[in-house]
Parts: sequence; structure tokens; C-alpha cells
Amino acid sequence: MMLLRKGIIVVTLLAFAAIIFVGCQKSEESAQADAGDDGPVTIKVWTLWTDTTDDVNAVAFRKALDSAQTDLPDIVIEHDATENEAYKTKIKTAMAAEEAPDVFFAWGAGFVKQFVDAGKVEPLDEYMTDGTADRMKGGANTNFVFNGNTYGITFSQWVASLYCNQALFDEYGVQIPETYDDLMQAVETFNANDVYPITVGGKDKWPAMFWQNAFAIRTAGAETCNAALAGEASFDTPEFVKSAQLLADLVEADAFVDGALGLDYNESGALYLEGQAAMYYMGNWFAGDIAGHDSDIAENTVVARFPVIPNGKGDETQYLGGSIDGLCVSANSKHKEAAATVAKYLMEQVARNLAAAGEGLPTWNTDDVVSEKTNPVIDQIKSQIGNSTGYVLAWDTFLSGADADDHKNYVASIFGEELSAEEFAALMQDINE
Amino acid sequence: MNSVLSNKKTILFFMLPASLIFLFIVIAPIFISAYYSSLEWDGIGKGVFIGLENYKDLFFGTRNIFYGSIGNSLLLAALSVFIQLPLAFLFARILAGGTAGEGFFRTVYFIPVIVSTVVIGQMWLKIYNPQYGLLNQFLEAIGRGTWKQEWLGNKDIALGAVFVPLLWQYVGYHILLFYAGIKTVPQELIEAARIDGASHSRITFNIVVPYIVSIIEICVILAVIGSLKTFDLIYVITGGGPLHATEVPTTVMFNTLFHRVNYGSGSAMAIFIILECLVLTLVIRYIFGRLSYDS
Repeated sequence: MMLLRKGIIVVTLLAFAAIIFVGCQKSEESAQADAGDDGPVTIKVWTLWTDTTDDVNAVAFRKALDSAQTDLPDIVIEHDATENEAYKTKIKTAMAAEEAPDVFFAWGAGFVKQFVDAGKVEPLDEYMTDGTADRMKGGANTNFVFNGNTYGITFSQWVASLYCNQALFDEYGVQIPETYDDLMQAVETFNANDVYPITVGGKDKWPAMFWQNAFAIRTAGAETCNAALAGEASFDTPEFVKSAQLLADLVEADAFVDGALGLDYNESGALYLEGQAAMYYMGNWFAGDIAGHDSDIAENTVVARFPVIPNGKGDETQYLGGSIDGLCVSANSKHKEAAATVAKYLMEQVARNLAAAGEGLPTWNTDDVVSEKTNPVIDQIKSQIGNSTGYVLAWDTFLSGADADDHKNYVASIFGEELSAEEFAALMQDINE
Repeated sequence: MNSVLSNKKTILFFMLPASLIFLFIVIAPIFISAYYSSLEWDGIGKGVFIGLENYKDLFFGTRNIFYGSIGNSLLLAALSVFIQLPLAFLFARILAGGTAGEGFFRTVYFIPVIVSTVVIGQMWLKIYNPQYGLLNQFLEAIGRGTWKQEWLGNKDIALGAVFVPLLWQYVGYHILLFYAGIKTVPQELIEAARIDGASHSRITFNIVVPYIVSIIEICVILAVIGSLKTFDLIYVITGGGPLHATEVPTTVMFNTLFHRVNYGSGSAMAIFIILECLVLTLVIRYIFGRLSYDS
């Protein structure tokens, strides 16, 4: 009797085990069937466009995905979106595990370089000879070029501007700053009247970093900045020291909002949108927040260029920004041709959709697109960058990994008055060596 | 059935799935991390074996923020043991003594434990916000405007500001453990002591505390280990900033792994945290072993 019972238990357990194993087997088989050549090809696409209500890029991308269903009938696109910071972690992990999707979003320069160096990204030059390259603006993919090969396709560029609340400037009789002295004057007046002169989200580090990067473009010039970032020129020069010193002087003058190092990007932006801070130096994506905000901030916003520095090597037509957002094709993709087609199609459509919505700064020729509506803030930015003579990417995107992290920490230390301008320049040069 | 379950082979057979999962999900990664910690590796390309170089950098490298982070986590552990636990014990003792609304308060104190850490973090961010934060507004309202601070933006007070929600969040958890322990103390003992004229505090320290010393040991271990590996709340509230003032080993590790893409060094930190937890657990167990031996 006992033996029989034992037998029943063992047999039952074995049966369970068998069912589980068979189950596993089945799913593997069906996965293989999907990868077969028959029927439409499935292309996996990963992006960071999760928010399809407020994020203009995400909305444009959603539309492009919809139109792809009719325009690319032989291809099924499986889209998977992850929020910005989580996306960085996710794509890195997937790359390491050889599980990268066919097409993935990446930032040019430093971020994508680690993948390119590891041989994980497919060069796209041969796929772009079909006229794609001609439909893009010159230099649109510069930040995805390594060793003469293009590894990614962009859809728009970004540029940082100084957003000024004209109502506050009028109220206290201050003029929109064109030079550093104007800026200092404005800071003094606003401080005397209990208005935060400048808001910045120092907790996220990169918004604070923008200020030093922008000063460096004015003191050293875009060309020198790019050369230094590429390791071909020194950071330890009087110009870069001055870029840090000017920022330190601003901090000293109490130009930035209280507790700036504890505020994140959203909290700091809200202070500008709510009219509590007079100035905000941020990328053009913030124009969408301004236009979408439920107050008269959109009418009151004047977009200014970053103030010029007397005797600086960079003039007002050089900008912090560039085209750095794009799609790449994985070198491990089973359907590279189709993946490249998807990347090209999506990027062009996103650019056109953005142009139609009057948002963003597309890197494709979209002159033939009729805008359905316009964003006055974006229009101000567009008219300003028409005569641009140089761009420098945000330094944390040009540099990568530890270098980028160190750089952001050094700038934060200037905000925290822990580092002198000379030390900052010397430490930046250490990165280069 | 009994004979089946007392059969060693059957026990092994039933244990197997759980053991395998435990082995592959918990134990194996520790050894894999130990291996990674000997590499110079960006997590994507090929790693280069460099022996103990990562550990050397960790402890003797320049611009070292790891020591500071260990100090912060040890300070948190100390605060946890010497402030959070006594507080939890006090509340548990009062509750278990049969106050009105015993069940209600038990639930209320436990709420922070079940609320998602991110939600708690966001709530405290709003409390500490220098512009519209509850704390600054409160200070203003009671006429102490000069006490207003940039709670999370000032590197000298940010650490204290982050510790408050950390300690507050798990008080309820320890209250519940102590409460359950105190409830197991036989009522006759307490009544007998009361008849003999023992005061309330004497009952607490001479009967309740010795009776639940094993619960106290568990609470101390949980509090210390929890402090050493705390991550989520600090990550949400300050991200280790400003200027590394609120950094703990786990936030440094996260940054090293995913922002600095240095898997070797990050893994070395992970191994250090594991060893640190292990050693402190053994020390605490030794101390409590001596305590119960002495009494």
C-alpha cells in the first residue's frame, strides 16, 4: 500500500515536470517559426517615447508608427518604449546580453560610441545612398559618424536658449541680457526685489552643467570646445578657467534659485512656468512645456541668446546643442535591410510630423510640409538659429561614462563653491589625459 | 504520507525546485559578481582580468567618495538601532498594554511600510521643497521664518533631512514585530509582578525586554542590514546629492554601474556591501549570544 502511494506521488510529480518541459519546448518552437522568412518581417524598435500626450516627439513618433502600417506593409513593427533614465539602463543591459532589438534609439557621440566600439551597431552608409542622405540637412548625422561610417539617423536637433519672462523684466525695468554685464545687472535687480533671477535643476546635474558649457562656448569658442572634448586641445587654458569663473561669480551673486542643488529638472522648470523665476536656460524641448502651460507664460516668454562675454572667442551665433537623438540598427539584427528601412522611414516621418505640428527643429528637409499650427516660442528659436556658425553638444553627451559623470560632478562642485575655476579646468584636463 | 515525508530522498526532491531557484537567483549572482569585480569591464565589450585592482581603487583611489558613503550608511544604522528601535518599542509597549484604539493605531503606524517608497519619496520632496514645501511654510506660520532651510539643497543638512523619512518609514514595521513579541509575554508574569509592587518601567525592563530578546535581536539585524543596503528612498529624494553629501554605498554602486559604466568597480562595491552585511550580522548575533548567555 505504502509503495503504491509513493509510486503515485512520484508519477504525479514526474508528469508535472514533463508538462513543464513540454510547455517550454513548444514556446521555443513557435518563437523559431516567427523568425522564418515567410510572411511579414517583424522588426523590434525600442525608444524612450513613452508619453504620447505631452511629449511632442512621442506624439510625432506614434503617428509615424501608425502611417508605417500602410506605408511599410511587409514589415511589422513591434514598438517598446521606456522612460529616459530607465531606457539608458535597459539598452545597456540588452546590449551586454546580446538581446538588443533590431532598431533602437540612441544618443550620438559618447553614448552610442561605447556600442559602436563594441561592434554592436550596423553602419548605415550603404542603406542611405537611395536618396535618404539628400533629403537630410547637411551634417545632420555628424554625431553618429565614427571612423568615417554613419551609425545612426537623426530626426531633429536641439538647441539651448535663455528663456526670459518679459513681464518680470518689464515690471522691474530690466532689459533682456545681451552681455554678461547685463546678466549681472538683471540678477542684482531681481534679487533686490525678491524674484529668483535664474532657476536651475541642480539635482539632475545636467541642467547646472549647461551653464558652464554655455560660458565655455562664449569664452573659448565652439571650435575649441569641440576640439578639447575630442581630446585634441587642452581644457587647462585661461578660456576654460574663465568659463568656470563666470559661473562661480554668478553663484556668488546669488543668481540661482534657493536650494538649486536639491531641485530636479521638473521642479526648476515649474518655477519659471509659474513666473517665480525670471530666466531659465534650457533646451528647445522646454518650448513645448511653455506653450502647454496653463498661464500667460507663453506670451511673456522672450527667447534670448546666451549672453556674450567681452573679449570672448565665441560670438552670439554659436549654440549649445546639435543633432544627437536618432535611431540605430543593431549589428546582430537578423533583418538588417528591413531594420534600416524602418529606421529611415520612422526618422523621416517623425521629422515631418514635427514640422507639421510646428514643433521641434527637424534635421530633414521639411520645407514642403504645411504646418497645422505654430508654437510661437519655437518660431523665435528657429529665427535665431538661422545664421548659426557653430554647435557644441552638451558635454555629458559628448563625453561618456565616467568622464561625463566626473564633468557633471565638477560643475556641481562649482555650484556648491567647493571647487575653484582653476581646479575645475585642471580636473577637466585630467579627463583628457 | 508521514513515511514519504520523512524519507530523506523525498525531502530532497521537494526541496529541489526551491533550492535551485535560490541557488541560481541569489547565490550564483554573488559569485558572478565576485568574478566581475576582478575585471575592467564596461558591461558591453570584453572584460580584462585585473585581479584586485578594483578593490585597490575602491579604497585607495583619488577623489574617493566610497568612504563617505560607508560612513553615512553606518551612521544610519546607528540611528536606526538607537533611535528608531527604542521609539518603536515604546509605541509597541503602549499599544500592547491595551490602549483605546489599539487596532486603529497598529494600522496607522504600519501604513508607511506598505506605501510605495517612490510615493513616500515624492511626498517628502514636497515637504522639503524650499519654495512651497510644507516644512518651510509651517516654520513661517509659527513665526520661526529664520529656521527655514534649503533642506535638500544644502550639503550640510541634506543627510539629516534624508534620514528622517528613512527612519520614519520603518518605525511601523518594528512596532509590529515588537507588538507581536510583547503579546507573547504571559499575562500571569506581569500580573504577578504588579502584585509584588513592580513599577511599570520595572516590568518593562525586567520582564518584557528579557522575554522578547530574540525579537529584539531580529529587529536589530533587520534595522542594521536595512540601513546598509538602503537605496530607493535616497535615490528618489536626493540621488546621493548635493555634492555626494547623502551618498550611501548602494547609490555610489548604482552610479558606477549605470552612469559611469564601470561594471568591475561596481561589482567590487556590491561584494563589499555583501561582506559588510555578513560581518555585521555575525557581530550582532555574537553580541546577543553573549547577552543571553550572561542572563
